[in-house]
Order: sequence, then structure tokens, then C-alpha cells
Amino acid sequence: MSTDRQPQTFMITGSEPELWYRDLISCLQATFGSLLIREGIDPLTVLGAGWRFLHLPGDVRSEEFYYPCEPDESGNTDVGAALAPHHDLHSRWWCPADTNDLWREVRDTLADDRLVIAAVDNFHLPFRPAYSDVHAAHLVVVYGLDEVRGLVYVSDAMPPAFCGVIPIEVFSRSWGSANPTDVQDAFFSDSQIGRRCLDVRLSAKPPVLTPELLGEFLRVNVTAFTTATSARTGLAGFGEFAAELLNRCRAGDVTVLRELYPFGWGMQAQASLHGELLRRCGHEWSDPVLAGAGRAVETVAHAWTGLRITGAHGVDDPGAVFADIAHHVTVLAGAYASAVDAVGAAAERL
Amino acid sequence: MDISVTSVITRFCDPVDISDHRNNTAISAATKTELGHFNVWGNSLAAEYLPAGGSLVHVAGIPFQFPPVCDGPDNIRCAGQSLRVSTGRYDWMHVLAAAERRCEDIVELSFVDGSVDAETLRVSDFWAAPAWFGELKAFESPVMHYPHHVQRFVPAVMWAQRVPVTRRADLTGIRLPRNIAMHVFAVTLQRTEATA
Repeated sequence: MSTDRQPQTFMITGSEPELWYRDLISCLQATFGSLLIREGIDPLTVLGAGWRFLHLPGDVRSEEFYYPCEPDESGNTDVGAALAPHHDLHSRWWCPADTNDLWREVRDTLADDRLVIAAVDNFHLPFRPAYSDVHAAHLVVVYGLDEVRGLVYVSDAMPPAFCGVIPIEVFSRSWGSANPTDVQDAFFSDSQIGRRCLDVRLSAKPPVLTPELLGEFLRVNVTAFTTATSARTGLAGFGEFAAELLNRCRAGDVTVLRELYPFGWGMQAQASLHGELLRRCGHEWSDPVLAGAGRAVETVAHAWTGLRITGAHGVDDPGAVFADIAHHVTVLAGAYASAVDAVGAAAERL
Repeated sequence: MDISVTSVITRFCDPVDISDHRNNTAISAATKTELGHFNVWGNSLAAEYLPAGGSLVHVAGIPFQFPPVCDGPDNIRCAGQSLRVSTGRYDWMHVLAAAERRCEDIVELSFVDGSVDAETLRVSDFWAAPAWFGELKAFESPVMHYPHHVQRFVPAVMWAQRVPVTRRADLTGIRLPRNIAMHVFAVTLQRTEATA
């Protein structure tokens, strides 16, 4: 805490953040969802509009909120744009610039009546099931700071769900945790938290989602899936990812399945939200082809379950689960192909 | 939803003996939570909120043989196991099941004439999730067991789901999905009423 200023209280205006959750999303989508709701926007229409496949070799981090983002020329990544490629949603990671005043940026953001998304280690948070048990990198929303009473106001939509205060020193331990390697969590430990935060901005309020607009989104999504690029994108990129996954499993590379679980979560969450949005729109607009395409995309999300869980249970012996991993890769590849075909057909009618 | 524990077997239903295939422990006592391993994190359902082990339970009128509780493996973690059934005409395969994250996968139904039909078993997540596939909530523990503690406000759910048997032929066997995210606690076949 800075020593040259009096303690103050910083709190967003209005009510506490609304929690937003789906069973296949992670804290990444949940926290962005809470921020979007506060802007008066239905998160599903923004976070469910895009649908991509992108794998960046060597980029996967052991964090619940890992999501593949290609860096710009400066090396910066924009998770917001990756989550919502059809909207003016942007984010940037930041860390406190002044080690003598770690809360300055948080104060400034709250004073600007904006929420902060903060990385934390579950091990130190009393409201998380992993408290004092398991280290894991997680995201929460910070919506207030009471320096007078020494409290941080935190919101977390992931079960068991929490919205309330914790002591600053408790939050600080979590925010600044080294998140050391934890044998109980091979997928989300061993990743320094480093007091990272996300600054999220929505530059423009999304237009009303019409069949024509959704049709534009879907055509762009399908083109991205069916156009080969130099990166591992689309159906071709999935093929490259799958081939490498199987080769490394066959070779007994013990790191490969540790990466599969966090990487797959992002792809699974995105497919689940996109499928839900299409199915909902298809229902509301009496368009059974669109609804069916949404269901096909949800099948992709469900196929990720088999691959991720098989990998998770086989994490210490990839060679032993090679055949099952190969089976689920085949199932998932088929689900992607069918869903892209179905979305393409639906898009042509919108 | 009518859920009751009773000793009366519904007339048209045949619980399937799956005892030879149970390979996973998903239910634990509050004093021994470390013995449960439903998922990769070692979570499990709380025994105190579930029916007695080995009892006959009814979910929406369908009888199920509830697995043993805190007495060894209580479910099949699906890996393509083949279940033998009493040969006969059936309309539905009912299951008590839960998934380590929402998923759907293929069940193969084998018939006396050599035909095999692939049907889809859809099971929602057991961990604080809705019935995404329209299942019935069969049983729920309002707390989640972790290896080292009992977690409040995170429910664990066991679902009642069903798979159609569309072929008008005698069923001889069931091959479960090759998907370890799916857990089956009980199977009951519902006979075709006209031939019962």
C-alpha cells in the first residue's frame, strides 16, 4: 500500500457483478461474461458469436484461463479479441507497474467504474474448494477495494460461486502466488500468477443480432475453418494438432497430455457457447436448420470431453492411452467436419 | 418426479446385472472421502445423501438395482464393456449415470439375428450442472466430496437417462461407450409391452 496517501474505498457503482456460468466454460469466459452483463449485453451473443480452431505449439500454459491468442508485432496478446472476433471486445494483460504501490492500477480502474479481472491461486482463497489444498491458476472479478477496512470485493461465478469480501492480505497472497507445481493438479499449477490482471474494454455496443448479422459471422467462421493458413487454424490446423498429439503420445512425451487439458478447455468452451447461441437463435427465429447446426457444434464440445478426460486420466503414461486418444481424436475430427458443414449450410440461408 | 425406494419390481422392467463390470468408486463416506475417485480430481458423491447400497430404487417408475455403497467399486467407468442381457424385446435401455463433464457417445445394441445398432447415450456433468440432455435428476448429494474435505454448495448429481431400442428384434447384449468420462451406476431394460 502506498504510504503517501490516505486509505480510501473504491467501489463500482450499482449492484455487485452478476455471475455468469455454463458447465463447459472456464473462469475466462465466466469473468468476461460478468463484465459484459454489466455493460447491459447478453454474454452469449458476444462470446458465442465466434468459433475458431487455433493451436499455438509451445504456447499452452498450465492455467484454467489459457486461451490461444496470436501475439501482435509487439508481442502483446488480446484475449478479448480472441474470445469475440466479431465484436470490439479487447483486453490486455497488465501487472502493477510500481512495486511500492501494487494497488494503483486497481484503484484507477475501479475509480473509472470498471471491473478488474485478476489472476489468482485457488490455494489461498477461502471460498475456493482448493483452499489450503491445491494450487491452481484461476481468474476472479474484483469490484471493490476498501483500504480503510483492508478488504477486497471479489466475485467468482465458478461453483461454488462467491460474491463478497476477503482480507487484502489474503487476496494478495493469492494474487502474488508463485503457484508452485502441485502433484494434485497437473494442469493448472506450476504457473506464476505474478499479480496479472486483465483490462477489458468494449469499444462499441454490439448491434442487435439479426439473422443477416449472424449469417455474416457464420460465413466468416466457416471460411476460417476451411481455409488453410500458415498457423494451425481451422480443420487443417486441427489435423496438424492431432497428428502432433498422437506422435508425442506414441513417443511417451509426458508433457503432451498436461497441455491437452488446458488447451482443450478453451476450444470446448468456445464450441459450447457457439452451439448454444446458434441453437437459441434457431429456436427464436423458427429456423430448424440453424438450430440443428448449433446442436452439431455442441457435439464438438461434447467430443472434446472424451479427449480431454482420457488425456487427463492418462497424463502420466501417454503411451498407455495412445489408442484411446487416437479414438477420441477421430471422433472429434468427425464432429468438427460435420459441424462446419452444418454451419455452412445454415449460413447460406441467413 | 416419483423417486421411491421399494422392493417391488415394476412389471415390464428387467434390471441388468452389471456387478462383474464395476471398476470405479464414485461414492464415498464423509469420513473416507479419499476413497472416492469419480473424476481426475478425486471428487465423489456423498453416500449419506444416496440410497442404501444394493437397494431397489425407482426413478420415475423405473426400477434400478442401486450399486453397493462404500463397499468397493460402485459404477462402470465406460471403456467399451460388453453387458449380457436376458434375451428379449425391449423398447428402452434406462441408466443411472453421470459424466465427468457433459458428453455423448455411442452405445452398441446387439440382437439375436446378428444385427447391431448404434445409439447415443447422452449424460450431463455430475458437478454442479444442469440436465443438459433432458435427463431426470435421480439422486443428488448437496455437497461434493474432495479427497481431503467435504465441500458445501457444490452438488453432485446422478442422472436417470434412457436410450431407445428401435429394432423390432430380440436384444442380446449392450456394448457401453468407449469413453471413460461416462459412468454407469445401474442399467434397466424396459420390455416391449405388447410382448411382455
